[in-house]
Amino acid sequence: MSEPTGAPSVARPAPEAAAPVRTGPSMISMRGVSKFYVADKPALVDVDVDIKAGEFVFIVGHSGSGKSTFIRLLLRELMPTRGQIVVAGQDLVKLKNWKVPYLRRNIGCVFQDFKLLPNKTSFENVAFALEVIGKSRHVIRTQVPEVLRLVGLEDKIDSYPDELSGGEQQRVSIARAFVNRPPLLLCDEPTGNLDPQTSLGIMKLLERINKTGTTVLVATHDREMVDNMRRRVIALEGGRIIRDQDRGVYGYVD
Amino acid sequence: MSINVGYFVRESVQNFRRNWVMSLGAVITIYLSLLLVGIFIATGFVVNSIVADVESKVTIQIFLKDGAATEDVNALQQQILNDPLVDGVDYTSKDEALKKFKEDMKQSPEIIDQLEGNPLPASLDVTLKDPRTVEQMVTKIKANPLFAKVADRPDDPEKSLKYGQQIVQRLFAFTRVVRIIEIVFVAMLGVVSLIFINNTIRLAIYARRKEIGIMRLVGASNWFIRTPFLLEGVLQAMIGATLAILSVIGLQAAIIPKLREALPWLAVQLSGSATAQIALWLIVGGIIIGVAGSWLAMTRYLKV
Repeated sequence: MSEPTGAPSVARPAPEAAAPVRTGPSMISMRGVSKFYVADKPALVDVDVDIKAGEFVFIVGHSGSGKSTFIRLLLRELMPTRGQIVVAGQDLVKLKNWKVPYLRRNIGCVFQDFKLLPNKTSFENVAFALEVIGKSRHVIRTQVPEVLRLVGLEDKIDSYPDELSGGEQQRVSIARAFVNRPPLLLCDEPTGNLDPQTSLGIMKLLERINKTGTTVLVATHDREMVDNMRRRVIALEGGRIIRDQDRGVYGYVD
Repeated sequence: MSINVGYFVRESVQNFRRNWVMSLGAVITIYLSLLLVGIFIATGFVVNSIVADVESKVTIQIFLKDGAATEDVNALQQQILNDPLVDGVDYTSKDEALKKFKEDMKQSPEIIDQLEGNPLPASLDVTLKDPRTVEQMVTKIKANPLFAKVADRPDDPEKSLKYGQQIVQRLFAFTRVVRIIEIVFVAMLGVVSLIFINNTIRLAIYARRKEIGIMRLVGASNWFIRTPFLLEGVLQAMIGATLAILSVIGLQAAIIPKLREALPWLAVQLSGSATAQIALWLIVGGIIIGVAGSWLAMTRYLKV
């Protein structure tokens, strides 16, 4: 583990020299971000990250490397101890608490455990996300079937979560995250509970969503998938970025 | 953005049904607290009407000695009548006094039988414009030289005067004590109701923690998340208040006529406007308890 202060014990490799220049408006910008849960144990140390609109980025690392803290900081579930975070043009440190819900309407979220409501059908689960931000019934009736078709669940519109497979449930949860067409989609271990074949389908779906212009950020430790996709990879270890490469690979031996 | 009112009502009613045992507990405690508040207020109104009635009957009786000179009595009557505090002065003759005494003692004829002749003195009965000035008027009468001349017992002028001040003061002291007890009870019950509502809302929040988590995730505004819980607390309070109002009206219809029968000499009454006032107070009290209780639970258990 690294020292709390002073020089890092782990060498920090420079990003690949051949990295293509990333252009376009910034979606996520972190400057010198540190997060301490307890005073002497950092979860993230001096993180600098720039992610442009429309990128597809993997965050990889072992458990406890700071992936989840990274995601929670972007959602402003946590405030950084130090540093500046700007997401979709909003300065999260300065953002007033009551405005946080409006930030989250710009961020879709997908989790390992799907977080579906068991007493609601696929349609109702997706519609719920629109209902609670005050969308009209008309909007719900048109957008929900459309997004369920996009994730390939047009046949399962009226199924309850316990009638769906794990992959299908994750598709519902992606549909819910995407139905409001947020510019940013955060995925925390989206394939953590799924078999490789199903995981691949989910990744293809995320790729398709990314092609619509949505920025997709996937925190994962699914080596195979990261290696297959050849997308930008940001590797975290002990709360520090140890690697940030375009068209990267997982790069660890577990 | 349109806020769906139906959504909030549906949610709070659904929560109410889901946790109906706890909700029932909250409703019953609010009902009982407000019922007591209602009974106390109603008692207050009745006591006030009785006090007002007794006050209006406060007169000063000046007992006159037998054979007092008529011109002295007339002069005293005239002087007292000229006083700005005085509303009227009536002369009661010995015969009239005896007649009234016999009327009052109708139920115990043996006392009347024992009377020999007419022991009752004649009197001047002074009615005041404001019953609170009774002490002042008594002092004035005592200072009047004519009073000493005609008083039944000139050696002890105190005994020649009778007035109801003591009764009124005792009544006031009694109502003051009753009022303090009322306030203490109502405050305690208020706290219990708050705790109960706090608990039901807490349970409702716990039962829906998954939904709340998702609502926060997809960016439901804080007010959108809070409103159903607030409404649920208010709903419980309103049901409790309604029950309490109905009970107070029922009790009133059952008890007031009986009181009147038992205490015919007191003006026991509760007007329609008093009932309306009680209802208003109970509703206001209920809403305050409901909002405060659910607010307490929301700030403590609902981190949004």
